[in-house]
Amino acid sequence: MSFDIPEVLDTLQMIDVEHFDIRTVTLGLSLRDCSSRLPATVRARVYDKIRRTAAHHVFVAEEVESLFGVNIVNKRVAVTPISLIADGATPQDFIALAQTLETAAEHVGVDFIAGFSALVEKGTTAGDEALIEALPEVMASTERVCGSVNCGSTSAGINVDAVRKVAAAVQRAAALTADRDSIGCAKIVAFCNAVSDNPFVAGAFHGPAEAEAAINVGISGPGVVLRTVHEVGLSADFSTLAEAIKRTAFKITRAGQLVGQRCAEALSERTGTPISFGVVDISLAPTPAEGDSIGAILKAMGLSDVGAPGTTAALALLNDAVKKGGLMAAQHVGGLSGAFIPVSEDQDMIRAAERGHITLEKLEAMTAICSVGLDMVAIPGDTSVDTMTGIMLDEFAIGMINNKTTSTRLIPVAGKGVGDFAEFGGLLGRAPILPVSTIHNGPFANRGGRIPAPMRSLTN
Amino acid sequence: MSQIRLLVDRVTEALGASATPAQVEAVVRIMLNEVVATQAPPRPPRAQGTAERGLITAYGRDQTGILHAITSVVSEMGCNILDVSQKILQGNFTLIMVVDLQPMQGSLQDLKQRLDAVSAERKVRIMAQHEDLFNAMHRP
Repeated sequence: MSFDIPEVLDTLQMIDVEHFDIRTVTLGLSLRDCSSRLPATVRARVYDKIRRTAAHHVFVAEEVESLFGVNIVNKRVAVTPISLIADGATPQDFIALAQTLETAAEHVGVDFIAGFSALVEKGTTAGDEALIEALPEVMASTERVCGSVNCGSTSAGINVDAVRKVAAAVQRAAALTADRDSIGCAKIVAFCNAVSDNPFVAGAFHGPAEAEAAINVGISGPGVVLRTVHEVGLSADFSTLAEAIKRTAFKITRAGQLVGQRCAEALSERTGTPISFGVVDISLAPTPAEGDSIGAILKAMGLSDVGAPGTTAALALLNDAVKKGGLMAAQHVGGLSGAFIPVSEDQDMIRAAERGHITLEKLEAMTAICSVGLDMVAIPGDTSVDTMTGIMLDEFAIGMINNKTTSTRLIPVAGKGVGDFAEFGGLLGRAPILPVSTIHNGPFANRGGRIPAPMRSLTN
Repeated sequence: MSQIRLLVDRVTEALGASATPAQVEAVVRIMLNEVVATQAPPRPPRAQGTAERGLITAYGRDQTGILHAITSVVSEMGCNILDVSQKILQGNFTLIMVVDLQPMQGSLQDLKQRLDAVSAERKVRIMAQHEDLFNAMHRP
């Protein structure tokens, strides 16, 4: 027998019992050849290109899913940041273009299309401004379109004017989707050090330096790592624990590499154009399913709840071990690559937040050592733009100084306050509304301009 | 590809600013269908000697005839069984079968559907997967 029974059963247990799946196979698609000074031409070119290239994306992914018996949860499309291909457009043009993206996404059968984005870490163009202005309306009038704005980077500093505009746009999107617990905000991500090959929606986009088209894969598997941590037990030391996580991460990344390669090959064959395999994003992404949780892994390490002293160290060990194991298993690693801690999508995070064991400030500390930021954090609907700007600046400062990606996906849930729950449904889950500091920061948040780029030596 | 784009641009211009993307696409498609066959390029033939092997795994309560039920499906589909390993522990059986998919009549999907029928009837879990998954995860 070329395979040992325990090996085969190990894989089947991962798939059958521990929710191991490929979280997303995302087709990154350049729309740079779709620009034109005529908005109608841009729309037609965009629609045509997505239809032509992505038409078989879902079908191909399903074929690969069946071939290996591994579930691919999401099949999505990420495109060139839209502000780059329609820079002369007005907010109305951007809203119409977003409708085109929505229609194209619907016609190729993907549930989300990401890349309604602008890269403004150093400064904004008229088109960037128009796109940010259009964001709230776009989020309210579309179901599938996701947007992001990169507001800072280690090499450029933080564009505070842009941060403030995005904070205002998020507030406005919350108001426009008030009837659905402000779900529009779940599709807006603000970044510092955004990456251009991230396969995870809502923050995905196909960066300007990427190939014509590429398949990027996001793996998952908190349940598999949870079993590993349980098996190691509470008496093992940290070295043993880290080693066990690395071995598990290696296996699940290999599966991601295989699935991504097959998808890229099959899609190239189908479309008749070469579509390269980009990267495996080695992330542990939770879902609302019980046991498919980062919080559960931290607890299995010996913490009574997420938020207990030691939580940040536990997350650091987990994040690092997953990366080390995964790096060896994939040809190219990229994207966000780290453990996700979206508060609404992880049962143990939700419970910890409900009990008051994790606060915004503790989450902020956790995001300093893992990807990707204050993700799916519901806050009171009456949080001011000043306060939101301050929270975002704090988060981006962590990313800027530590040369890592940080982000915010804050949801100021209209009409709700601390103690209430925001219900988003599906993979977005539900979130308790976390209290936010209301200490006045007005003059600071309104100062405007840019925070200069940091120095890269004397790093204490 | 660039010719298609040119066509899209021409149609867009001809239809004017009020044209919706769907209208443009409809016109372009009609034109394309008239000019060229729109079928996807044929899949390149697999290199001779490339192994196309599948793993069929079954587990559940032991019962008489389960191995026969599975092997019947496999042989009816024209697959060659290369290796079988079966273990019974405390009344639960585990079966792993390596099959050659090259001579298979029909698709892997067909094989899976027929195995699903056995699975439902016998109340055991049966999976059929390409062996590359196991090679990737356990044979780095």
